[in-house]
Amino acid sequence: MSPYDPGEDVIEVIRAPAPGPIRGAYRVFGETLRGLKTTFARIVEGPTTIQYPEEKTPVYPRFRGRHKLHRFEDTGLEKCVGCSLCAAACPADCIRVVAAENTPEHRISAGERYAAVYEINISRCIFCGYCEVACPFDAITMGHDYEMSDYTRSDLIFTKEMLLAEPIERTPLRAEGE
Amino acid sequence: MPRPEHKTIQLTIDGREVTAREGMMLLDAAKHGDIEIPYFCYQPKLGNPVGACRMCLVEIEGIPKLQTSCSTPVKDGMVVHTETDRVRHAQNAIVEFLLVNHPLDCPVCDKGGECPLQDITFGWGLGRSRFIEPKRHFVKPLALSPLIAIDRERCILCYRCVRFSQEISEDYQLVFAERGADTLVATHDGHPYVAPFSGNIVELCPVGALTSRPYRFRARPWDNEGAGGICTLCPSQCNVELTVRDEKVMRVLARDHPEVDDGWLCDKGRFAYQSIHVDERITAPLARDGGSLREVSWERALELAGGLARHKGHVGALVGGQATNEEGFLLQRLLREGLGSNDIDSRGGGPVDVELARALAAPSLQASVPDIEFAHTVLVLGCEPLDDAPIIDLWIRKGVRRRGVQLAVASSRPSALDVNATFTVRYPPGAEAGFLAELDAALAGGDAPQDRRELASLLREVGEDVVILWGERLGAQALPALLSIAGRLGLADRPGAGLLEIPCGANGRGLREAGAVPDAGPGYRAVDAPGRGAAEIAGAAADGDVHALYLFQTDPVRELPDRGLWEQALHRASLVVAHASVLTEGLREHANVIFPAESYAEKEGTIVHPDGRLQRLRQAIAHPEQVRAGWSVLVDVARAVGQEMDVLTSSMAFAQLLAAVPFYEGLTLEAIGGRGLRWPAREQARAFPGGARPQAPGSEASDGRDAPAASDGQLRLGTYRPIWAAPEVEISPALHFAVAEQQLELSPRDAARLGLGHGETVVVAQNGKQLRAKAAVRTGVPPGTAFLAEGIAAQSANALTEPFVEVRKP
Repeated sequence: MSPYDPGEDVIEVIRAPAPGPIRGAYRVFGETLRGLKTTFARIVEGPTTIQYPEEKTPVYPRFRGRHKLHRFEDTGLEKCVGCSLCAAACPADCIRVVAAENTPEHRISAGERYAAVYEINISRCIFCGYCEVACPFDAITMGHDYEMSDYTRSDLIFTKEMLLAEPIERTPLRAEGE
Repeated sequence: MPRPEHKTIQLTIDGREVTAREGMMLLDAAKHGDIEIPYFCYQPKLGNPVGACRMCLVEIEGIPKLQTSCSTPVKDGMVVHTETDRVRHAQNAIVEFLLVNHPLDCPVCDKGGECPLQDITFGWGLGRSRFIEPKRHFVKPLALSPLIAIDRERCILCYRCVRFSQEISEDYQLVFAERGADTLVATHDGHPYVAPFSGNIVELCPVGALTSRPYRFRARPWDNEGAGGICTLCPSQCNVELTVRDEKVMRVLARDHPEVDDGWLCDKGRFAYQSIHVDERITAPLARDGGSLREVSWERALELAGGLARHKGHVGALVGGQATNEEGFLLQRLLREGLGSNDIDSRGGGPVDVELARALAAPSLQASVPDIEFAHTVLVLGCEPLDDAPIIDLWIRKGVRRRGVQLAVASSRPSALDVNATFTVRYPPGAEAGFLAELDAALAGGDAPQDRRELASLLREVGEDVVILWGERLGAQALPALLSIAGRLGLADRPGAGLLEIPCGANGRGLREAGAVPDAGPGYRAVDAPGRGAAEIAGAAADGDVHALYLFQTDPVRELPDRGLWEQALHRASLVVAHASVLTEGLREHANVIFPAESYAEKEGTIVHPDGRLQRLRQAIAHPEQVRAGWSVLVDVARAVGQEMDVLTSSMAFAQLLAAVPFYEGLTLEAIGGRGLRWPAREQARAFPGGARPQAPGSEASDGRDAPAASDGQLRLGTYRPIWAAPEVEISPALHFAVAEQQLELSPRDAARLGLGHGETVVVAQNGKQLRAKAAVRTGVPPGTAFLAEGIAAQSANALTEPFVEVRKP
């Protein structure tokens, strides 16, 4: 045995077909035709270019887009109590919550505390949806809007008022079974 | 009692061999063996265990029932199981049981994220409850005091807060009211739980039942960063952990140093952090412009301070207790080298001869703080630990309660420790020197009054380990006799015995070692021409001999005796340069230039604990607005007067200090570290000047000045500095309720004679000066004596200079 015997570690290399006229012709046309089969089959379907932004791709109901904060429908109080669990869960560290205490005269949320400051830095958000999972009061959910670009970075810090406001639903929702 | 000796024993926990100290509780032994047993009520700091929560049940071979490991001492050869099915079943049941009434409102609870109940439920709970009945409800949140909110629904009745109140701070205010399922934590009659140490129960509470009101909803544990620091609001120098969020101190927690603070904090230390972030704080340089102070640029302020150069040889400086060693050192360099003056003082109790100061500070004579706990006898002399260094008060209580320390209290004012004392003796205010001379004579076997002889025999007979805790406020005249007493009791060179001084300023000891005293340079080195002390500086400034004053984080009008003279001195001085964070009265009226001073959360430097422990201040937050580091401002001022300090960083200042102080030799900032280092215990302490053994001065000791007799109807006046007497307290919103107001403590007999009732407003007059105060009738006050507070914002007793006052109705 030579000192360089690799033993069983050698893997047999799969080589291209041996050179020859028939095999050569197959190599030139065969695989190309196979690809073209897909191309021509789709021609009958017509073009599927979406004229964004005039047209938009519909999103699935569970699409994770821009966040929304919610209020109770009956009392109008904010569901968020400022517990910061979303901030703790956030892997991108893009949520900042500063809590404060409700007083009987100045009641913002249903619990003892409310979020005096609730900011999401959208430019940093990775839309993982962990905030939604962490929220014990279903106060924050991920919406469907994905059009959030802006001209300055500071405009991408969404405040509580922006998140609470009824978002403009610019994104069509994919219908059932679509 | 001397420190007990312990045997080590072997036991088996979960099949693991664990070595433990005999008498240790099983739970602690398991912790040492890296085995976790869940618990709520156990807290070794609180003394004997109570076994209230039942969370720490374990199975011990040979004992048929499960045992609470927190209250079972270890025995040699014990075999313990903590993870059997029986134990797990019991743990699940206890968690389920504790959660029966718990509201589970973790999202709104301030404890959420750092809550033992959350952690243990997660780790040892079953995850579901069979309880479907309604939980018990209380009004919530309720203010237990202005500082603490109580949520009784969350309470698991672990006894920790009640034990703290009953056995540690001994204020006996918190109790369990009602019985059985109705049990709740309360004060006896529902009054607010206001006590100097009340904040500790917030940290003790293992659930969110007791929460801090100033910290309420401010932050979550994951928003915060912890930063180690030292509280410099009093000489106790407790180790604290500052909770920082967004460059702001959110709260102060204990950092549990077993040789400094035993893990407790007073409410001043815990809540006065608020003074760091209030509008009242000075955050930009100010200069006087046409009578009023105005914000100016740093360049302008330094240029104005450079005017000190015009008064070379006629500059006096005062250093406040919050200054670090480096700041004290640089300031004395500025004064001695740059301005050619030795008139620098940091003492609050009058000038002390340098030889005497050396003898009293000699390393062999110094007791450490834990010595208080293990001494045979502790003598509290001329100070009130509760006001002057609150944590020392808790150390003494611990010693008396758990170690059988015999406590003797000798003071003019009745002390909070009187009830714990074996022996109490009162002397009239101003008669400290006479009292100590008599005690010295009694110890020598000479002729002395009966109570002095009794005290002497107590100090001699109980045991050799005597710790004398004395306050700088005792006054300089009394010190030769104190030194002589220490010599007679043989305190020098005896481990576990010695003197422990409570200075007036938080870093009083360090500033002296750094040379911020008129007659000694760094390391108590003698200086060629001793300068003037604080009182003499005032006199000289009022006479026009001192032209300029440098006030480093102190306002003499407020802090030092004889307010009138200081007002005159500051008024007469042509240049007053100050470092301050609060605009106190004297500065508002008289300062020409004010540099914004750092708070202790921003400082970088070292300080010295009264027992000689060098501790390190670390910067926890950024300097707010225009505040600059104290050492760098001193360097800039020196440059403005034409002196080059050669200091570019705070550690360069420390290096210069090390080079100047022989007994600090070989120290490094790393060696001091987070836990500090007692220099008297180091080998290099031999370099302390003035010989190793203090010599008792001869006839001087008995030269005590006896207090003069009172003229008709007048009361002898003593002063004290209340725990709350600090500008930081006054500007902390949470402590507004506690701000010290002037009150006249007097005996019931005098009150009856003058027709005064408790709480009535009285006028205290002397030499045409008048103060208004509330009468406080206190039984312990000796008849013919009255006490007024000093160091407070209004109506402070430092306006009065004579030993007697006249008290009348307004």
